[in-house]
Amino acid sequence: MNPDDLRYHKEHTWVKASGRKVTIGITDYAQDALGDIVYIDLPEVDTDVEVNSEIGEIESTKATSSIISPVSGKVTEVNEDLSESPEVINEDPYGKGWIAIIEVDDASDLDDLMDSTEYTKYVEEEAK
Amino acid sequence: MRLSIIGSGPGGYVAAIRAAQLGAQVTVIEEEEVGGTCLNRGCIPTKSLVASAEVLAKARKSEDFGLDLKGEISPNLTRILARKDRIVSTQVKGVRSLFKSWGITLKEGRGTFISPNDLRVTLKDGSEEQMESDNTIIATGSRPFEVPAFPFDGRSIISSNDALRLDEIPKSILIVGAGIIGCEFACILKEFGSEVTLVELLPRAVATEDIEISELLEREFRKKKIKLIKNMKAERMDIRGDGVHTVLSDGKEIIAEKVLVAVGRAFNTNGIGIEEIGVEKGKHGEIIVNGKMETNISGVYAIGDVVGGLLLAHVASREGIVAVRNMMGNREEIDYSAVPSAIFTSPEIASVGLREQDATARNINIRRGHFQFRALGKAHIIGEIDGLIKIVSDLKTDRVLGVHIIGPHASDLIHEGTLAIRNGLRTKDVSETIHAHPTLSEVLMEAAGDVHGEAIHAPRR
Repeated sequence: MNPDDLRYHKEHTWVKASGRKVTIGITDYAQDALGDIVYIDLPEVDTDVEVNSEIGEIESTKATSSIISPVSGKVTEVNEDLSESPEVINEDPYGKGWIAIIEVDDASDLDDLMDSTEYTKYVEEEAK
Repeated sequence: MRLSIIGSGPGGYVAAIRAAQLGAQVTVIEEEEVGGTCLNRGCIPTKSLVASAEVLAKARKSEDFGLDLKGEISPNLTRILARKDRIVSTQVKGVRSLFKSWGITLKEGRGTFISPNDLRVTLKDGSEEQMESDNTIIATGSRPFEVPAFPFDGRSIISSNDALRLDEIPKSILIVGAGIIGCEFACILKEFGSEVTLVELLPRAVATEDIEISELLEREFRKKKIKLIKNMKAERMDIRGDGVHTVLSDGKEIIAEKVLVAVGRAFNTNGIGIEEIGVEKGKHGEIIVNGKMETNISGVYAIGDVVGGLLLAHVASREGIVAVRNMMGNREEIDYSAVPSAIFTSPEIASVGLREQDATARNINIRRGHFQFRALGKAHIIGEIDGLIKIVSDLKTDRVLGVHIIGPHASDLIHEGTLAIRNGLRTKDVSETIHAHPTLSEVLMEAAGDVHGEAIHAPRR
């Protein structure tokens, strides 16, 4: 299930806050919809990213999909392990499959995102 | 009708055969090897290397196909080049024997105009001959453009010609120019094991293509770990013991064993007497011709790379045929509206017609259809799922305006699009045509369907 301590964006990315530095990734729903992930184009460290904009791409055996940033800020770290083993996202989307750490411009932006109950409902609606 | 042709590349030799078929008395003058750049230093030899790289890539994936290939799979450059030389030599012999069968005279030497109707041929042994003709075609082609700041030395700073005869696979190579030639060699050498860096002046690789095609190729480069530096100029080079030191416009230095400079082509117009007879040239040194391939001098035609525009073998061949038809009394103008082009990168790229950015620039209202190769069963079967096709069509008439493909066998798939554009077909004509399953050509049917949201193997948009 979708962890309660995360916030969720409608483009199926999640945010884990710890101060101004937040970790982001794609949701379990997203990885399941994509199927076997074969490649990820990670954002570059030190780039400024905007909420709702594309920060990378994920390729699965059946589709190519944009990674949409759930926050605005600067990328401070990316999960380099995914370059060699992108399938980790399928196996552990909320853990080892994290994508990047972003230093957010305004931590209150996270309030605009969904909590796990809202997101679970949102996904159920979308699946209908 | 006596016709002389200077140059025997895919422009000159095709013109020669067509003219002979129509009853002309044809002489071809060739200074180097029959077949020109295409057969000897271009299309044929490079694609032979591409073929070796492809087999290597497939062999490396053999496990995915359920095969146990024992031992190390590695490229043997000597044997790869020997195979290439055999293929080239077979093709060259083929052209020579076609000349013989059509009664075409081949003079091996340099042709120079004395007057529009008189040529002097300096043969390889130094002797000279003079010949008269009613019409002449200049088909002297092009050569790698040499940058004055870092001229070719054939060993450390090399041209695409030199890259076809390397002694060994370089450990590292810097390729200046991420155009067609640069990107093809980047893929070949990377597969063979070189560390490859590309430097490109423009903001994207293969800038002649639709932007989405460039973006996908750049992602494939990232996957292959081919480094691409864009918006950057190579300023100067210094050959030292540990390799070539190249200084870029941002001041950074790149050290590589070799540098391949592939920044364009220069026209072969020197030393053939065209200034003496007054043939008009354009600002880049190309020979100016009209739609009938006539120069400003009566009875003198020019075709192929030397007239500029699209520097493609198949365009040269078509121009040669048009020139010949005109001099044989027909009236025909060259039609460039549906010219396919192919780039043999990995994956392959092919395109024809309008790019999306052209439509935007010309305010043409379009629709787009996309389809990913990875959505196709056949792509999974052959283990090559990367790639996409994009169709650009006219919003009002539904006519196909452009087809852009990056993916396996793109160069073979493009011709359905070429036929559609040349004949003004609509996307409906393509999507409602039954395509065999399972084949890669289903991408055309699906992308044409996607123009109207009717692709079958794509989720709802």
